[in-house]
Amino acid sequence: MTQPIIQFDHISKIYGTGNTEVRALSDVSLTVQSGEYCAIMGPSGSGKSTAMNVIGCLDRPTAGRYCLDGVDVSLLDDRALAHIRNQKIGFVFQQFHLLPQLTALENVMLPMVYAGVPYPERHDRATAALTRVGLDNRLSNKPAQLSGGQQQRVAIARAIVNQPVLLLADEPTGALDSHTTQDVMAIFAELNASGITVVMVTHEAEVARLTRRVVWFRDGEVVHDHLAPEDIGQMAFTA
Amino acid sequence: MDLRESLGMAVKTLTANKLRSTLTMLGIIIGNASVIAMVGIGEGAQKFVSEEIEGLGPNVLFVVPGNQETQRATFNLPKTLVLSDAEAIAEQVPSVVGVAPEFNDSGPVVYRNRSTNSTIVGTTPGFPLVRNFTVGRGRFFTDLDMQRSTQVAVLGSELADRLFQGSEPVGQQIRVKNVSFQVIGVLDEKGSGLGGLNYDEAVLVPLLTLSRRLVGQTSPFGVELTYIVASVDRQDNMGAAEFQIANLLRLRHKITGADDFVVRSQKDLLEFTGTITGALTALLAAIAGISLLVGGIGIMNIMLVSVRERTQEIGLRKAIGASGNDILVQFMIEAVILSAAGGIIGTGIGVGGAALLGAVTPFQPGISVSAIVISVVVSGSIGLFFGVVPARQAAQLDPIVALRSA
Repeated sequence: MTQPIIQFDHISKIYGTGNTEVRALSDVSLTVQSGEYCAIMGPSGSGKSTAMNVIGCLDRPTAGRYCLDGVDVSLLDDRALAHIRNQKIGFVFQQFHLLPQLTALENVMLPMVYAGVPYPERHDRATAALTRVGLDNRLSNKPAQLSGGQQQRVAIARAIVNQPVLLLADEPTGALDSHTTQDVMAIFAELNASGITVVMVTHEAEVARLTRRVVWFRDGEVVHDHLAPEDIGQMAFTA
Repeated sequence: MDLRESLGMAVKTLTANKLRSTLTMLGIIIGNASVIAMVGIGEGAQKFVSEEIEGLGPNVLFVVPGNQETQRATFNLPKTLVLSDAEAIAEQVPSVVGVAPEFNDSGPVVYRNRSTNSTIVGTTPGFPLVRNFTVGRGRFFTDLDMQRSTQVAVLGSELADRLFQGSEPVGQQIRVKNVSFQVIGVLDEKGSGLGGLNYDEAVLVPLLTLSRRLVGQTSPFGVELTYIVASVDRQDNMGAAEFQIANLLRLRHKITGADDFVVRSQKDLLEFTGTITGALTALLAAIAGISLLVGGIGIMNIMLVSVRERTQEIGLRKAIGASGNDILVQFMIEAVILSAAGGIIGTGIGVGGAALLGAVTPFQPGISVSAIVISVVVSGSIGLFFGVVPARQAAQLDPIVALRSA
C-alpha cells in the first residue's frame, strides 16, 4: 500500500474576521499518495494558491489537520516549518527566483546552506543535481547569462537537491515558451518516474494534460478530482 | 546556518552593489573619522597643557592677587600683592627655599635701529632657581642690582636673536621703554610658557628698577606684583607651605573675611586646565558623535530600502528553508558589516587626520588604542541597533506575497 504524502483533513483557511471574512479554503479534505503526479487547477480566487501555500508549509491552516509525509505540521512553529520546507519540499516558481548575484551552482547549493551541509558535499550534490537537469556545462554562469528555460532548470535542480519527498511547482511553465515548456515538463515527468511526488499549480490545460491526476478548485472547495486526464481540455472549457 | 556562511553571504550581497554600500558607509566613515580626530585633538591639547604645567616643576606654588570671584569678574586684578609680601614669605615660611615675585609690563625694546615690542618682566635674583631657568651667556642680576636699581637687563633667547642677530649682546646698551639698560646676560631657550607668557621673548630687569624707573608706584601698598612664585623644598611640604603662605598673607593684609589672593599649586592648575580641556574634548566628541548617529540612521534607511527591494529574495530564502530568525540574522549582519567596516575606515582616516594636525600644530594628538577600539565597537553597535528595524521587517515578511509579486 502506498503512503500518503499530503493528507488534508477538513482544512479551512480564513482571512480576516467578521464582515470582511474570506474563506479561501472551506473544509477541504484531500489525499495525495506517494509517487503521484498531480495538477491543481481552477480559476483565480478559487483557493488553489492558498492550498498550494498550505501544502508548502508557507502558511498555516485556520482549522483542520494537515499531515505531510506522516507528520502533523498544523501546529509547528516557524523554525520547525522552515526545517520541513528545507528537508521535505522542493519549490519551483513561475519567476524562477534565482539570486542574481550567485552562480547557478551557488543557487543550487543554497538550500543545503540552510540545512548545514558541509561545503564539499554541498558542491558535489549541487553539481549532481545540475547534471540531472542537463546543465553540467553551466555551473558558474550567473542567472542573467542563462535563458528562461535554463534558469527554470537551475530552479528545479535547487528544488531537488535536498532530496525532498514532494516537489511543489507554482505555474512552472508560465514564463516559458511552448518549446521550453516541453523540456521542463519532461524533467518533471522524469523526476516523478524516479519516485518524487509532484504537485503543480497551473492554468494551462496543455500542461495539466501531461500529469496523471487533476484536482479542480472553485470557491475554496474541491469540485473535481480526476485520475483520467484525457478530457481536461473539455473540463477547462466548461469550467 | 552558521555564522561564517552568513558572513560570506552578506559580504557577497554587499559587494554586489559596491557604490551603494560605499555611500551607505560614508556617514559612519565621516562620523568615526571626526570622533577619532576630535578626541585625538582634545587629548593632545590636554597633554600639551599638562606638560607645560609640569614643566613648572612639581614643588612650585603660585600666589596671585584677587579672590576667585574678582578674578572671574574683572580683567584688571586688584593691586594688593606687593614685594614685601614676597619677602615675608621667603623669610617666614620655613619650607620655602626661594621666591620669585614678578611684575609684568610691556613696551618697545630697541637696539640701534632694531625695535620690537616685548614683555618686560621685573623680578628678583631668585627667578632662575625658582623658575628653573639657566643663564646661557653672561650673568643674572644680583641683590646688589636690586638694591641699587641698576639699569641692567637679561634677555630671553629669542629676543636676543631678534635684536642682535648673531652678534654678542652681553655688554651692549639697549633701550627699554626709552630708558637705557645694559645687557648682562641671555637666558637659555625654554619654549613658550603658560598663559601666553613666553620668557624666551621677554626682557628681564630687576623688579625695583622696573618699578622705580619704568612704571612708577602703581599700588598704595608698596611695589606691586603680578604674582609670586615660591618653590618649596619637598613635595610633602606643599600642603603645609600653601597653608602657611595663606595664613601669613591674611595676617599681613589684615583679612577677616574673604581672601584677596589665591595660592595655587601645580596640581590645582592641572585640575583646573584638565576640567577645561576635558569639557572641550567632550564637546568635540559630542558633536562628532552626532554625525555618527546620522550615519547610523543612514544605514537604517538604506537597509529599509534594501528589504523592500529584496522581498523576492527573502521570500525565496524562506521557501527553501530559512526561518524568520535566519533572515533576521542575515540583515543584521549586513548592517553590522556596513557600520563596522565604515568604523574601521573612518578610524583610519581619523588617525591620519589627527597625525596631520599634529604636524602643523604644536600639540601632538593623543590617539589611544582604547579610543580606536571603543569607536569601532560603537559603530558596530550602531549597525546592530539601526539594523534591528529593517531586519525585523524582513523576517516578518510574508513569503507568499513576496514570491507572487513578480
